[in-house]
Amino acid sequence: MHHRVTALIRLIAVSGVATVAAMAPAGAALAQQMGGELIVVQGSNPPSLDAMNTSSGASRNINMNVYETLYGFNENVEPIPILAEGVDISEDGLTYVFTLRQGVKFHNGDEMMASDVKASMERYRKVGATGTLLEPVANIEVTGDYEVTFTMKAPTPTFLEAFSSPRAPAVIIPEEDGAAEPGKTSLVGTGPYKITEYVPDSHVTIEKFADYSQDMDHEGMDGFGGKKTAYLDTVTFRIIPEPGAQVAALEAGEVHILEAIPAPAARRLEGNADIEIQENLQWAFGTLILNVNEAPTDNVKFREAVQVALNMEEIVGIAAEGVFELNHGWTYPNSIYNVGDIGANYYNQGDVERAKALLAEAGYNGEEFSILTDNSIPFHGRSAVVIAEQLKAAGINAVINQVDWPTALNLRMQDTGWNGWTLTMGIEPYLGPAAIVSTLTGARPHFVKNDPVLDGLYQELIAGATPEARKETFAKIQEQLYTYFGIIKLGDTGQLQATRSNVKGFKTFRFPRVYDVWLEN
Amino acid sequence: MTAEIETLPEDGGSLRRQMRKARWRAFGVFLKRLVAHRSFLIGAIILVLFSAVALFADLLAPYAPNRNNYRFILMPPSAEFWFGTDGYGRDILSRVIYGTRVSLFIGVTVVLFTGILGTLLGTLASYVSWLDALIMRGLDGLMAFPGVLLAIALASALGPSEITVIIALTVTFTPRTARVVRAGVLVVKGMQYVEAAQAVGAGHARIIFRYILANALSPLIVQLTFVFAVSIIAEAILSFLGVGPPPPAPSLGNIIADGRTYIQEAWWIAVFPGLAIAFAVLGLNLMGDGLRDIIDPRQRNHR
Repeated sequence: MHHRVTALIRLIAVSGVATVAAMAPAGAALAQQMGGELIVVQGSNPPSLDAMNTSSGASRNINMNVYETLYGFNENVEPIPILAEGVDISEDGLTYVFTLRQGVKFHNGDEMMASDVKASMERYRKVGATGTLLEPVANIEVTGDYEVTFTMKAPTPTFLEAFSSPRAPAVIIPEEDGAAEPGKTSLVGTGPYKITEYVPDSHVTIEKFADYSQDMDHEGMDGFGGKKTAYLDTVTFRIIPEPGAQVAALEAGEVHILEAIPAPAARRLEGNADIEIQENLQWAFGTLILNVNEAPTDNVKFREAVQVALNMEEIVGIAAEGVFELNHGWTYPNSIYNVGDIGANYYNQGDVERAKALLAEAGYNGEEFSILTDNSIPFHGRSAVVIAEQLKAAGINAVINQVDWPTALNLRMQDTGWNGWTLTMGIEPYLGPAAIVSTLTGARPHFVKNDPVLDGLYQELIAGATPEARKETFAKIQEQLYTYFGIIKLGDTGQLQATRSNVKGFKTFRFPRVYDVWLEN
Repeated sequence: MTAEIETLPEDGGSLRRQMRKARWRAFGVFLKRLVAHRSFLIGAIILVLFSAVALFADLLAPYAPNRNNYRFILMPPSAEFWFGTDGYGRDILSRVIYGTRVSLFIGVTVVLFTGILGTLLGTLASYVSWLDALIMRGLDGLMAFPGVLLAIALASALGPSEITVIIALTVTFTPRTARVVRAGVLVVKGMQYVEAAQAVGAGHARIIFRYILANALSPLIVQLTFVFAVSIIAEAILSFLGVGPPPPAPSLGNIIADGRTYIQEAWWIAVFPGLAIAFAVLGLNLMGDGLRDIIDPRQRNHR
């Protein structure tokens, strides 16, 4: 395995430690302050504020401050109860009895009851963006005012983990919204902030929910749950697509938090006392997905040629602006599912001769290799440019089709018309192996046509009773991914975030948490 | 042609020779005036330089325009990279040199197509009176949209490519060109020598090409220098907005778009292609001004 921490990461890590050390004594003396208006900047519009039916990060950024789930992940990605008190799982693994916290208020003033939970789950089955996570559940019943019972079709050891996923969260909404069409709910949740305004291409405003019911079983916030406190009066998520304009707004003090800041700008602002840079390493996997349904990428020898032709250090180094680690694996190196060197001999080769030999074997005759990419997510477009140049050097007729992000999502759903697609996977590696593999199997795998071997291994993975069993299966999966070459791992990328120095309590996470954040005068 | 020769007097050969000589002399005077006109001369020199850079890009560029180099990302201008490098480690000087080629190609093609289409439509509208309303109202409809906006809409609909930009700009600039031609033709159409040509039974084609267009086209030439300049700017705008030639094509607009993220950290990425555009457009405008002064003495600026 190749690792490479860039000087930039080291520098930021060191300065981060220094900052924390310097802040520690002062932190104790600092009192949280109520009130104020916080402005958070993100690059794209939330496609929906109906949390259930979107897995978009732009939506999650806002929704996770507004809605809550029965179970969710804590800081260490372990499921903890949030709106539930807890769950009783029967010995045979077939019954889950969720007890609800009492006195939890919705933004409309009503109390959350078991009937709301049932209605929310039934709706999630129908319109949830990852509705299949309720597939193992046969029946959902109200068994008390504050008790809901799930009956399973078969024991599913990974159910609670999948159910806690924030990808397209199974949030609890009022019973009245249970039959609402996707995107047509009243946008009412139970979270510390409530939605007050959405002007597309401009902003979303959320406001402190005065009757928010804190979870007093915790000392403070913990991941998506814990004891959350809304200190701010309002939070505005402003949509500014242009990174340069985002940085300028931060420097001018017009906004407080940038969800992502380009690394060169972060480097420049390192000495600026008004601005703090935070690193969110292990942010995403950079990938190149190949369409196995379209020539020439329908030929496995051709796909192997693409894999060995690529120099990942150059691709990810340029695309992630230096904030990256080389990693051939389909888990992060510190994951318990890390299966070691499998596939490493195919990774970061940049071997033009080997690629040319494979192309000859594949009978490649100069057919167009069309790379679908977008300019909305900088990593996507930049990695496509470098990949295309490297493939041209190996004799592949690579062309780039750069569109905007929604169009790219649309085009990649078509079975033909593209060969490669650059995609960063952020939430999937965070959730673990099953989440990654689920995107490559099922009704519509990313690489278009199903690989029966991988489909079988996925079923084996989610049925694995213990982490050890699942790891054994995952080793076979990584082996298969480096045999099938339907998706190519480019590397691990980090994300840099920036805040004004008067923003206190902000900790980088899978989404910008604005609870437990306050503004210092 | 033959009819004219037959009706000429016996010493017709020498008369034709004299006419040709007179025409050459007039052209010589015209050239002299052009060279004497300072702004035209400066503009022409700039345009020649710009064209030379575009034509000899392969010889002039120190590096391949699309070669990435991870070790040389965002390098400031230096002896090795005169204009610095971009976020991919590509040499900006080489990209700007090749970018002038894209700009020039698009500019020349648009001028050519706009000139041909504009002349055709403008002449038809003014010469064939029943077509006038039809053609001109259609063109007015197109002109109702702000120029660059129409180009953006067309380019978005057709998908990003060089051809798209050419089509979009041709459609956008043709109506204005056709108007200029139509106005010129309307004036000339009423001239006595046109009536005389009609009286001696000259055909439509002969009247249009020999008598009308030859005398009505000078405003068109001035107009086309401006179309050229605006095309270069519009190409940069469309590329900047992502509807021009797709990356990694080194079009000047693409280079500026690449640089906007780094405008504070690496100003050189956006500034040098910006200067190239300004330089080319300045040259074309100076030339256009000069041409207008010389061709249309009534508007001549004395300097």
